[in-house]
Amino acid sequence: MVKRFCIVVGVILSLMVMVSCAKKAVKEEPLVTGKAEEGALGKPGEEAERARIDEKSLEASLEKKEYPGIEGVFLESSLLNDIHFAFDRYDLTPKAREILSQNADLLLQHSRVKIQIEGHCDERGTIEYNLALGERRANTTKEYLISLGVSPDRVSTISYGEEMPVDPRHNEEAWAKNRRSHFIILSR
Amino acid sequence: MGLRVIFVLICFLCTFISAEMSGARVYIDIESPELQPLPIAVAQFRDVEGSQPNLGHELLKILTNDLTISGFFEIIPRSEFPQDTNALAAPPDYGSWLGSRAEALVTGGYSSSGAEFAIEFRLFDLVDKAFVGGKRYTGSTKNFRDIIHRVANEITYLITREKGIFDTKIAFVSTTSGNKEIYIVDFDGHNLRQITNNGSINLSPAWSPDGGIIAFTTYIKRNPDLYLFDLARSVQVRVSTHPGLNAAPAWSPDGNEMALMMRREGNSEIFIINRDGTRPKRLTKSWSSEASPTWSPDGRKIAFVSDRAGSPQIYTMDRGGRNIKRLTFSGSYNASPSWSPKGDRIAYCGRSNGRFQIFTISPDGMWTRRLTENSGNNESPTWSPDGRFIAFSSTREGRSHIYVMNANGANQRRLTATRGEESSPTWSPRMDR
Repeated sequence: MVKRFCIVVGVILSLMVMVSCAKKAVKEEPLVTGKAEEGALGKPGEEAERARIDEKSLEASLEKKEYPGIEGVFLESSLLNDIHFAFDRYDLTPKAREILSQNADLLLQHSRVKIQIEGHCDERGTIEYNLALGERRANTTKEYLISLGVSPDRVSTISYGEEMPVDPRHNEEAWAKNRRSHFIILSR
Repeated sequence: MGLRVIFVLICFLCTFISAEMSGARVYIDIESPELQPLPIAVAQFRDVEGSQPNLGHELLKILTNDLTISGFFEIIPRSEFPQDTNALAAPPDYGSWLGSRAEALVTGGYSSSGAEFAIEFRLFDLVDKAFVGGKRYTGSTKNFRDIIHRVANEITYLITREKGIFDTKIAFVSTTSGNKEIYIVDFDGHNLRQITNNGSINLSPAWSPDGGIIAFTTYIKRNPDLYLFDLARSVQVRVSTHPGLNAAPAWSPDGNEMALMMRREGNSEIFIINRDGTRPKRLTKSWSSEASPTWSPDGRKIAFVSDRAGSPQIYTMDRGGRNIKRLTFSGSYNASPSWSPKGDRIAYCGRSNGRFQIFTISPDGMWTRRLTENSGNNESPTWSPDGRFIAFSSTREGRSHIYVMNANGANQRRLTATRGEESSPTWSPRMDR
């Protein structure tokens, strides 16, 4: 009886440990192999498998980049999309919020990824006020990611003002593309 | 001849030829609203050693161009001279000038012996038949243009009792090399030289009041950090590297501090730092963006941009950050303030019908004056140290270039034509002090 009780407790305990391990594995160690948990519980195994696929897709989405004249090499992920702003505004549009929650999901899945948010402006307006506006856009973006659970110490911000247009043309279409928050990966 | 001997000689000559007496006549009152240019004849300078005749033509071109740009003088063409004056020291034959429109005459001579260049001039009043003043300058031949500019400064002083600004320079940003680097050019558009060459983004040059240093912001280390470039030694030091903006520096008039934009709580605020970057003091505290500080010439106030009322507008505050007052009320975008050296006006750019134009406003916000009207964007006004000119950037001819105009908007002319887009001019202080 005592022996059986001990076995039951033991099984429960080990299950608990496994469950917590499995959860932890998904949250903090996306690279862990599914083997240890395999067969123990169906779900964590699937999650680990998904994590592995996520990891693969993150890796596949990365591109090494650097900016001329600026120190350091960084990564860009095609899974972290830019958000866009209205002229002289820094508030988030519904579309921007949608993209940011996708970006936040990715960051929550890959908890070692550290990013920098770049605030950018179109060429209209003064160079200096646009530096302030870019600072504001990057910060609003960061605050929203934090509200979705991303840890603040994983997110830094920088304003490039109007200095780095993605589209150098001087028309509405180009300006709309250039008013953006852009995401780069500093480490992972 | 030793340097000391030359120096003594110059001192001697200066005392000898300078006839500046107390109560000297002011030929042109530069404060007068109806300024009449003084008709002046500038004689061909005599080539004392007869070895460099071409220099004489070149110096005359530089000198008459300076005097013309100033707006104080009307240059009498040589064809109207009654005689070919190239006496060195002797007074002119006043009688022969009686029928001429010229009211003043400049004569002089120069010599050049390889590395050294010397020039002297004399200014005569043809109406009162009097010697007004004169000076001799000696310097390195490679500073030839600067030396001639100083002659123009002195002639301007003798006529207006305020020195000219012809030896001043303008620093600005150009994308000639593909990225934004900082360049310097003389007031008359000559002597273009590149200052930074780091391949990065370099912004907002600001000239120190002693003329020796240009402060600017650069992204070399993946942060907009503030650097100082020492012009004499050609070296740069990093002075402010707080995460976020260290941007739009503005030197206090005593040169000990800089006002600038720095990040606090996710937005840009106005701070003051010591010139070595230490002891940042926060002046503004708001949820809005603050940008582009500029000091009043007495160092007691700072004008800046804030969007606290919903759109960027110009405000002033005292240097402790108190007594914030809004200056601009018309238009939805007013920025880039620049306080005039005499303190009486603040130049800025404002959007009107979708384009940016240069305006000035009095520091109490009482009256506004528009200085540019064209289809381009006109931005970043900066004052000459005598307050008589404003340099700015404009896209009126397509690409953005630096332009100069009189402080009342007259006489707008292009200063530079580098291959890139030019922006953010900053006028040097007087170098000739």
